[in-house]
Amino acid sequence: MSVFDGLKFRRVYSPIHNLDPRIKFIYVCAIFVIAIMFGELLPLIILFTFQIPFVLLAGVKREWIRSMRGAAFLATIIFLTNFVFAYLGARGIGQSLENAVAMTLRFIVLIESFSIFFLTTSPDHLGLALEQTHVPYEFTFAFTTAVRFVPVLAEEAQTIMDAQKARGLELERGNFLKRIRNYIPILIPLIVSAIRRSLELAEAMESRAWGATKKRTNLYVLKMHKGDFILIAITIGILAVAIYIRLYLPIPSINQLLANIN
Amino acid sequence: MAVIQTRNLTYMYPTATKPAIRDVSIKIEKGEFVLITGPSGCGKTTLCRCFNGLIPHFYQGEINGEITVAGLNILEHPTSELAKHVGLVFQNPENQLFALSVEKDVAFGLENLGYPREKMQKRVDWALNLTGIYELRERAPHELSGGQQQRVAIASVLAMQPEIMVLDEPTSFLDPLTAKKIFEVIYELNNTLGITVVLVEHRLDLTAQYSNHIIIMNQGKVVLDGEPREILSSKETRLIGVGIPKATRLYQILKEDDGVKLGKKIPLSSEEMTKLLREVIKT
Repeated sequence: MSVFDGLKFRRVYSPIHNLDPRIKFIYVCAIFVIAIMFGELLPLIILFTFQIPFVLLAGVKREWIRSMRGAAFLATIIFLTNFVFAYLGARGIGQSLENAVAMTLRFIVLIESFSIFFLTTSPDHLGLALEQTHVPYEFTFAFTTAVRFVPVLAEEAQTIMDAQKARGLELERGNFLKRIRNYIPILIPLIVSAIRRSLELAEAMESRAWGATKKRTNLYVLKMHKGDFILIAITIGILAVAIYIRLYLPIPSINQLLANIN
Repeated sequence: MAVIQTRNLTYMYPTATKPAIRDVSIKIEKGEFVLITGPSGCGKTTLCRCFNGLIPHFYQGEINGEITVAGLNILEHPTSELAKHVGLVFQNPENQLFALSVEKDVAFGLENLGYPREKMQKRVDWALNLTGIYELRERAPHELSGGQQQRVAIASVLAMQPEIMVLDEPTSFLDPLTAKKIFEVIYELNNTLGITVVLVEHRLDLTAQYSNHIIIMNQGKVVLDGEPREILSSKETRLIGVGIPKATRLYQILKEDDGVKLGKKIPLSSEEMTKLLREVIKT
């Protein structure tokens, strides 16, 4: 079941989890923009380390490291291509290296901020945020229901797999194509039961006055707390500083700094 | 006053060749605890779907005859409107809960009806307390046990404060002890709040004692309709294959084969039987 583990959500409480997802999203977008603004290594390093306290505060270190590890493969490719092309473009080895590291780090910063967002936002909250930003309720409902039924369907897939194996189905046999074909006897019952389930679900929704009024209300309402205002201030602050630096300050490269020291 | 009344109700599913229910004429009074039972495929579930307008609005198909629920003709009112009057609890608890927290699930109906937040919160807490799951309110429904899930399903229907609650085999996924507790919850709702309960069940051993009206169906028709003690002790009921409570059956055997009559009141549960036996032993 380890494949599906990542999709399960857990209810955790931390200062970061409690933040308004809308504000968190704005923050992530701001980081995104800043990362795009700078191609130099130094500011990207600062940006990367800047976010680590968020991870620690949210207590999602282990999950975060796992998602970073997941990005490692792509990061390596980015590093190698950048390095090779910069080097072929007749730049010095030091500079190409710095350039490649910067590009890789830019990618990592993007992954970092998005993973913080998704690791610390419960689907519940996310659905609520969507709803309150006037996304039609049908969509948000579809979203939260999908999240709700992932573990259920995963369990069902496991049951069907066991049942078919008990009847002699061998999943791990044959070449690549054969292996894919082996999964057909699992997929068909899974899809059929999912359709049946969705019908039952629709019935239950109807029975609970789905679509009774146009103006639907909500039990939960997102409210801005102190933390949200602090995050807004931080976001505006770093954005302003980043723009100022970009426009008015020269950014030294690491190579230059090293040369100055020597 | 009858809250549910049907006259010659006949219904056929769109893809079927013969009607699922035929000529059903029943009358359910306000505040009654009605048991509907009968062999599988006899049309119990279909009848339940008629009570809140899922048939014909959701299922389409061909419907004939008359049916009024809570004074409304179901053919003229959509399910979303009937939902305020009739709550329907389904067999599989897993497929009727869709939110990510219990509280939110219970509020679902009220949200759809557009209740203001404070009122909604009060109602939700009230329903959660009545079904004894208040402390589970922040949990995710899929983490709960079957019995707890079914309680959530009941609470979520209860929150809309319907006059009638229809429960379609709510305990078929549950073990006997959990089922017994669910029935006690349902009986409480009937007894203290006066909600009319229509319960479809096979486990008469656990439920017959609460009922004051029983309807037995077979092959799409209502075969017997009336007072539980009378109906459950009749020979016809046994021949259809209804799971008669063991206490009632014992009483019958003693009466028919041995000519022993234990008191006047036919027992519906082991408790009632014990009482009768104790009296006999004493004298």
